[in-house]
Amino acid sequence: MWRNVMHWRGVALVVAGLVATLVLAMNGGLVLYIHPRYIVFTVVMTLIALALVAASLFARPSHDHDPEPARGLPRLLSVFAIVAAGVIAIAMVGLPAATLTSATAVQRDPSGLSIGKEAQNVDSVSSARSAVFKKFTVVDWASLLRQTSDLSFYDSKPVDVTGFITADPDDPENVFYVSRFVITCCAVDAQPAGVPVYLENWGSSLKADQWVRVTGGFAANPSESSKRPIALHVSTIKPVERPSAPYLY
Amino acid sequence: MRAIVEGSGFSLPNQVQDLLTLSISVIIESLPFVILGILLSIVVQVWLPEGFLMRFLPHNGVLRRAGISLFGIFLPVCECGNVPLTRGLMVKGFTVAESITFLLAAPIINPITIITTHQAFGFDNGILIARIVGGLAIANIVGWVFSLHPSQSSLLTPSFIAECRRPEHPDTKRHKSVDLFVRESSAIMPALFIGALVAGAIQVAVPRSVLITLGSDPLFSILAMMLLAFVIAVCSNVDAFFILPFANTFMPGSIATFLVFGPIIDVKMLAMLRTTFTTKVLVQMTVVVALLSALVGLVVNYVA
Repeated sequence: MWRNVMHWRGVALVVAGLVATLVLAMNGGLVLYIHPRYIVFTVVMTLIALALVAASLFARPSHDHDPEPARGLPRLLSVFAIVAAGVIAIAMVGLPAATLTSATAVQRDPSGLSIGKEAQNVDSVSSARSAVFKKFTVVDWASLLRQTSDLSFYDSKPVDVTGFITADPDDPENVFYVSRFVITCCAVDAQPAGVPVYLENWGSSLKADQWVRVTGGFAANPSESSKRPIALHVSTIKPVERPSAPYLY
Repeated sequence: MRAIVEGSGFSLPNQVQDLLTLSISVIIESLPFVILGILLSIVVQVWLPEGFLMRFLPHNGVLRRAGISLFGIFLPVCECGNVPLTRGLMVKGFTVAESITFLLAAPIINPITIITTHQAFGFDNGILIARIVGGLAIANIVGWVFSLHPSQSSLLTPSFIAECRRPEHPDTKRHKSVDLFVRESSAIMPALFIGALVAGAIQVAVPRSVLITLGSDPLFSILAMMLLAFVIAVCSNVDAFFILPFANTFMPGSIATFLVFGPIIDVKMLAMLRTTFTTKVLVQMTVVVALLSALVGLVVNYVA
């Protein structure tokens, strides 16, 4: 039994990985974990792995030269490793695919610390028309907010953004971020970007991690404890479904 | 089962959910590269003619390792795929020092890494040059240091030595390949899963802002970048895009350090390398690589 476990553990984990990958590829969930540009490569390699797994199941197993089973502490450690890997494998195949939550957004700074000028540049957009601003995502706005807190720049520029709610750690009752994650490779490198919204006692009608579409305009942030000088003042806010591509690139 | 879980409205606490999402993301991203690495390892061990790779290499140790450190130019495999390939090279007679040289250099000078680093940084501040030259130098220096060890086999784990000493059975190439796939995945896959789990756990536990506040100090920014590279465990093929947004906050030298250190040492890689090298070797390798990549960063900060 133990010999069989040790012999087949790798193939079993490959199977878990490829089942999860193929299921996600079919229901469009791969984008929750990796950047779209890797999808073709990932699926091709997964199909090759599938062929190898099939070949290994049909080949006669060559147990005769497997190493002698370990005893004592090494065996305990490998049991632990197999159990831990097994738990992840089961979660991978069994649990519904999920996006990162506001917990990670808070942990990585929801204001979008790493979003720089490459998204939008203050000088080049200052005279753009309203229609342009209406299409701006939270990443575009986070980029501008990092560059200037001059209120006249934001005057009469319409904001219409969609994202999930992350409470502002400094004033969680009255300020939240409409946030998205930006990913370059996979969910591991996700960087949060968010637009601060001032809405007194928002927790009474909304909750963290909920997806919303918010319209309004930027003005001074009335919150006393929030560190952000400017916040979005809401005209309309309505709950929406999580988009099929929740991350931005 | 998925349908039952979805239907019940059951949801995990945010931290647990993110731990799973991050770990699964590392696995799904790395798995194709690991499969590619296992395939290349099978090609090297089963399909290439005996002594094919050795034929073109000089006999002098230093020159030989220099040649080996350039192998990666032909292999678009990032670091996790190089682990099974390196194991294959050792089975085929490379010394431990030679395969360490290959292992450290290959992810940095692989063609995709060079292209993506150039796309991200161009030739700004010498970051691309520092990465290639620094990575090759570190690989050769670390390879040289380990070549001085009198007993090369004591650097390896007993289970991998047993693997190298497997008697050659008269068998078809196809059957050997399949057998090798089963054994290599048994060695590498649990390590990948554990490495992914640890990487996910550290990311949930350590606030990112701790690292970023250190960004403007010439020395601390380098340390912070090494820590970030260590926990983020992202593939060398794409790490330049990941670090690009931080170029505003961090000094160019610390970016170079991230790009040199990250492909060689991170939590996922250490878990995978532990299948082959002893803990002592990994600690020594980590310390030497950390010091040398910090040096690369300091030089870039000084010159740029």
